This record gives sequence, structure tokens and C-alpha cells, in this order.
Amino acid sequence: MIIVVGAGPAGLAAAKSAAGKGCQVTVIDSQPRGGGQYWRHLTEVSGYKSDRSAEYLNELHQNKLITHITGAQVWSAEKLGDGYQLNYLQAGVEKKICAQKIILTTGAYDRTLPFPGWTTSGVMTPGGAQSLLKGHGVVAGKAIVVSGTGPFLLPVATALAKSGAHVEIIEAQSPLRWALSPLALLLNPGKFPELIHYASAIVRLKIRVSFGSAVTEYHSGVAQVSKVRSNLSIRKKSVRNINADVVATGWGFLPDVTLGGILGCAQTLDRDETVVFEVDKEQRASAKNIWIAGEATGIGGADLALAEGAIAGLSATGSRIPAGMRWKRFTKRLFAKALQRSYPVGGGWQEWLRDETVICRCEEVSCQEIVESVQELGAEDARTSKLFTRAGMGLCQGRVCSRNVSDLVAGTTKCSVSRNERLAASNRPIAAPISLGVLGDGIAG
Amino acid sequence: MSNEISFHFNGAKFTGAAGQSVAAALIANGERELRRTRFGEEPRSIFCGIGICFDCVVTINGVANQRACLIEISNDMNVESTL
Repeated sequence: MIIVVGAGPAGLAAAKSAAGKGCQVTVIDSQPRGGGQYWRHLTEVSGYKSDRSAEYLNELHQNKLITHITGAQVWSAEKLGDGYQLNYLQAGVEKKICAQKIILTTGAYDRTLPFPGWTTSGVMTPGGAQSLLKGHGVVAGKAIVVSGTGPFLLPVATALAKSGAHVEIIEAQSPLRWALSPLALLLNPGKFPELIHYASAIVRLKIRVSFGSAVTEYHSGVAQVSKVRSNLSIRKKSVRNINADVVATGWGFLPDVTLGGILGCAQTLDRDETVVFEVDKEQRASAKNIWIAGEATGIGGADLALAEGAIAGLSATGSRIPAGMRWKRFTKRLFAKALQRSYPVGGGWQEWLRDETVICRCEEVSCQEIVESVQELGAEDARTSKLFTRAGMGLCQGRVCSRNVSDLVAGTTKCSVSRNERLAASNRPIAAPISLGVLGDGIAG
Repeated sequence: MSNEISFHFNGAKFTGAAGQSVAAALIANGERELRRTRFGEEPRSIFCGIGICFDCVVTINGVANQRACLIEISNDMNVESTL
């Protein structure tokens, strides 16, 4: 039996290809329904080509070789004899599952940057707004500014506008940056109809789009837009105010690498210094009998996740990988590289902060406290600053702020963040908070 | 989403659709503020919406620190802002 952790595109593709070879597969996922963060289908609103999910979801529900465990949060994992044991929480009860082979497709979450006012209610991630809409049928607000960088802003903005919200897009980078990646565009011709799909939706839904700009402050229902350079430093402050009850802001994605880290899978830094897993040509991780596919090996979107997942599924069953599949993965990886080149996230956001701007949302640690931990207490890295300020010690385990704290400490010391600090900041001894009561009794509350 | 679910939030009665999360049902009812922070007593709502950030934690049926964005509403559920 093979366990697939995660029921997003990569996990579903892995389960489908492994079951296609006659292997028993158990897909374990934290959500009540399959599809992951990307494929959500409670409402009529769907993104470009999202109908292809049907093929994978049908397989998940109908293939007798595939078991689907829902609402299960895997909080830890350990090596057990020849295989692995995953410990998970389901409806407050702690359970275990064992298998010889594991395919990790743990996905990613929105990367966010702090700015004055980003803790007020109304500011959320694009992924959050999308999840409210597609997962729960709720439009986050009436007037919504979708800001940040990257192509994910497009499906979010158009879905919200289709559902009746007044939407504006504030994209930090210039579309001309795509000129830096001609080969990636040439080898991914399928991306052009997708672009045309969103461009025509933007025109039809009368969505105003600004490039080279960012929301750098939000107060009392007013989003302040500044012109920014490609490194996100401010070119011209507060050029425009937009009345908005919601600001959906995101700066690409951060892979969730916790579980593979617990299992000892080797990690490395991607070109944008995101922590990702090292995998071989068949998606094998450094630890025996573990495969990793999708965003956890580098942010690349659903197309790349599907290609990697299919390869991981075949490899885990000892099957041959067709050359066409490898080629597909190659072209999608090229496109993923181009995405990083087109939508970089520089350190210029530190100019947006005020002394009192909260950096660590959980522990309410301000920019000033972190800067003082460096200038007055001698902290030289995020870990030391964290010990002085508690930044990153809250319930989210630093998932939201740790990268920003590292960058802010480095910005204050005028140094760059070391590889070791990046790797350490992304790894945690457990994958989700769990109470001692549950650990003791196996039952929550 | 036809089935209507009724639940309580800080003593007041609300309704939502079956399958909706606590956070989604409250936002649909215009209730943005899910809790106040410990130190600054600042209002917080959902932020990541997918269970990562823990900004939306509430007490559900007496169990503290539950993520309102993940837990689905059920009939007679008692939701309270964690203080």
C-alpha cells in the first residue's frame, strides 16, 4: 500500500497513476473534500480549465483501489521498521496509519508581506478570498482590491468580480518581464489561451488593472496604492486611494515542507530562496521510499503538480516513466522558472513599514521590536531575534512571518540571510499544534 | 447548499448553509470580527483562510483555539471569541 499525503492536483495525479498500475493507495487530506486548495467546486464559479479536475476526482471517488481519508491533519510522522507511520488528528481523535511507501504532496500557502494596516479585518490572502468563495459560497466583500504579484491574482480577481464584487487588480511587476523568458513561453503554447481567457474576463468584468504598484497601507476602508520598483521599494508614495472593504494580498506561495522535513528528506533553496525538497528524476526524496511531488519541490502551479504527481505515482509502483511525461515536466519546470523571473519578491517592502507595524501576527511583535532586538540587543539572525521578541513563536509556528523576520533582521544588519537560516526557519518538530490531552488520551477536549 | 444550519456566536443566533465553515458563515452574516488579540486587543478576522495562520481561532463548544476557517458549522454549535 502507498500513502499519498494531500489531495490536491499532485496527490490526485499520483493516486491515479499508482492505482492505474494495480496498487492500493490511501489518500489522506486535511479537507472535507478532495481537490486541494486549487480545485474547489462548491460553486458554479470556476477557473480556466478547472473542469479537468473531474477526471481526477472521479478516480478518487470511484476507483476501488483508492481510499480517501478526509478531515485528517497529519501532525507528525516517524520511521517504523521498513516503512513509515503517520500520526493524524481526525475530528479531535488521534489516529495512526502505516505504509512502506509515502508520496508527499503537501502543497503550498500564500506568501504575505506586512504593511501598515495588514492586521485589520478585511485584509486577507487571495487564497483566503478564493477559499471563501469557492469552498463556502461567500463573497469576501463588496469592493475588493486584489494586490501583490503573480498569475494567481487573475483567477481570484475574475472569480470575485463574476460573483458581483467590484474588483481592482494591483500587480507589482510589469508584464514586460515575460520578455526575459522567451523559451519558456515558446515551449508552453497552452498558456496563451489561458492568458486570453483571463484578459478577456478582465475586460468583460471591467476590472481595472495597475502594474508596478502595490497596496502599501490600509486604514478605515481605504487602500493606499504606491508606485513600486521591481524590488518593491517605493518609487512614489501614495499615488492613489481606493475605497475597499477587502484587500486580498499575496506574493506568490510558500511550500509546506514540514512533514518531509520531519522524515529527514533533504531540502534545498530554490532560486527565490524558498525552501523546497531535493528530488531525483523520478521524484524520489533523499529518504528511502518517499516521493515528493507538486509545490513542495518548487512552486510551479497545477500543470507541473499534475506532471510530477503522475511520475511519482508510477515510480512508487516500480513502473517505467514514459518519455512524454518527462518532457511535459521539463516544459512546466521551465515555465515555473519563468514565473519566478517574472514575479520576483524583493526586500523593498521593508520601506512600507512603520515602527508600530505588526510583523508577527500571532504574538503581535512590531517592526520596532525586531529592529531593536538587532540594534540594541545584538541579534544577528531571526532565531536570536525570536528569542528576544517571540516573533514566530505563536500558533502558526512562524509559517506566516518567519521569512519576513529573517529578511527584516538581515535588512537591519545589512547582511543577507544564510542558507542555514532559511532551511531552519521552514522546519518544525511537529506539523500542527496538538494538545497534550489528545496526545495522552487520543481524544481532544 | 440547501440545508440551513443554526448556531450561536458570542450568544447571538446565526444561520448558515450546510458545509460552510464557521468563519465563512459569520462573514456571510456580516460578522467580520472573530476575536480580539491578547495584547493589543485588536479585532481579527480570517487571514489565510486555509488553516495555516491561526488568526481566526475561536472557542467551539468549549474547546479553545479552533480554526474557524476549517471547522464546519453544525446545528446548535456554540462559538465564542477566544479572549
